Amino acid sequence: MIKASNLSVRLSGKEVLHGVTIEAAAGQLTAIVGPNGSGKTTSLKAMAGELPYDGTVSINGHDIAMLKPWELALKRAVLPQSTVISFPFTVREIVRMGLSVGTKTDAGETDRIARDALEAVDLSGFAGRFYQELSGGEQQRVQLARALCQIWQPVRHGEPAFLLLDEPVSSLDIRHQLTIMRLARSFCERGGGVIAIMHDLNLTAMFADRMIMMKGGRVQAAGHPNDVMTDAVMEAVFGCAMRVNATPVGSAPFVLPHTAVG
Amino acid sequence: MPHSEMTADNGRSRSFAARLKSDWHMGDRSRLAQLLIAVLIVIAVAMFAASIMTGAADASLGNVLRWLVGMEGAEQVLSARDRIIILDIRLPRAVLGLLVGASLAVSGAVMQGLFRNPLADPALVGVSSGASLGAVLLIVLGSSFFGPLFAVFGFYALPIAAFFGGLATTLLLYRIATRSGQTSVATMLLAGIALGALAGAVTGVLIFMADDKQLRDLTFWGLGSLAGANWTKILSAGPIILVSLAVVPFLARGLNALTLGEAAAFHMGIPVQRLKNIAIVSVAASTGASVAVSGGIGFVGIVVPHVLRLVIGPDHRYLLPASALLGGTLLIFADMIARTIVPPAELPIGIITAFAGAPFFLWILLRGRSHMGL
Repeated sequence: MIKASNLSVRLSGKEVLHGVTIEAAAGQLTAIVGPNGSGKTTSLKAMAGELPYDGTVSINGHDIAMLKPWELALKRAVLPQSTVISFPFTVREIVRMGLSVGTKTDAGETDRIARDALEAVDLSGFAGRFYQELSGGEQQRVQLARALCQIWQPVRHGEPAFLLLDEPVSSLDIRHQLTIMRLARSFCERGGGVIAIMHDLNLTAMFADRMIMMKGGRVQAAGHPNDVMTDAVMEAVFGCAMRVNATPVGSAPFVLPHTAVG
Repeated sequence: MPHSEMTADNGRSRSFAARLKSDWHMGDRSRLAQLLIAVLIVIAVAMFAASIMTGAADASLGNVLRWLVGMEGAEQVLSARDRIIILDIRLPRAVLGLLVGASLAVSGAVMQGLFRNPLADPALVGVSSGASLGAVLLIVLGSSFFGPLFAVFGFYALPIAAFFGGLATTLLLYRIATRSGQTSVATMLLAGIALGALAGAVTGVLIFMADDKQLRDLTFWGLGSLAGANWTKILSAGPIILVSLAVVPFLARGLNALTLGEAAAFHMGIPVQRLKNIAIVSVAASTGASVAVSGGIGFVGIVVPHVLRLVIGPDHRYLLPASALLGGTLLIFADMIARTIVPPAELPIGIITAFAGAPFFLWILLRGRSHMGL
């Protein structure tokens, strides 16, 4: 499990996270939601180890501050919001970068993993394309395939691996939103863990096991989506009175912007 | 499930060209890159030999080889004068050309990887000017301030001074152009111009202060030339260049990851700060050593890696060795032109690389504007 306790982060002199505590268990899809500027990405970056922070972050019981970058890379992979590249790499070359971490496997094996990862993000046949010529959503999926390759086994040596995703579906069409969310779910079902920053509350409610609602650099509510997505929480966090409803089947909560009052 | 790519790999009987083609369609350029490196090795050797044979004195390859392997009767084949010309003039010149060309092209490639941009080049963004400043500082103020330095380091003093000049410029530039792990190209280029101008101004002041003898020592820095090549220069700059070239292959995987940004490289397990430190020191060292022995030779560092990326892609595992080979070859070739185009006079080689490189650089700019964040 990834455990962030009492995280505080200062960005250019200003404290933007105030003692945030987040837990993400293996086998679960943990979604972080909240308004713009509520500290979602900052929390994820701190948990990824790329930002200096006060507090502690541990992954499977290891303090990440004590781990070497390559040790950390075998326990978690990160999908950033968007990645701009100034060199003409092919999709295959980008995806295989994820495979260069850790122990050497034979060429046939790495080829197979890279191909399967591209297939998992619905980009079979894109291996020979140039990354710079793809659309934003396609580039996003290439990066996800690259991150997947890095922790191809959700459980390695008995230890679960974690995927940290910063808005994985924000630039995707509805079909691929479902593809990627199902992919994240299946990673959890195979024993890994996922932390995803999400904006689409309804998609989150459909797929997440745990929902962490942030506001102003603090965790406002955390728990199962059914418990977090309530009229009261919605108004408190987003400052906008809305009606939360439930689907007839499966009872996932949903909220429509149409219900906003005032 | 059907994989059209998989069937492509099954036919063992298919020709090498067909395999290269199917690799290309799958986005795999590694076999092509290996082939190109092999070809470049052959061309580099051929160019080296051609360079030793080219010039006013008559020395054919056969005669030179016969003399070098010490075959009988060779003493008569090559006159003593020809032997001196080859051993003390042409050979050091070719060796220096190979070293400096390789060093310029590789430091260009490393710097472009470090700044995540194909326009970064030591000569273009002021690192060479900084290195020149270091060298000029040593020459002009040498006797009064740096006497002990000469005493300790001997003929290494000049490359070391140039190294520190280059290092200071690179560090400054990186600090200015990179904010929270992302490099702004515009800031990098403009800051490079400013730093280069500043180094140039200080160099100007020093030249103003210099006496006649020092002036003669200084003149060739501005132009860039291999004309003064001798074994002493090779001994002073060669080891520094060779060490930084030897370090660079270990940076390849990290530089690949770094193209996705500093954070992404860290996510992929790269110790980013260490990578950057080693890359900066190696660029400064090889640029400094090259500048110390041959002055500012521009455009090799930007043209060579760029051409290679068009053919074999940006994977640094192949790009770096290929850059070393092509850079060395091109500089020897440019030097052959420099010393034969207006006989008996010699054109500074920097003029030739600028004539070929500057239009090419403009072409890169116009062609790839959208991909470079400009």
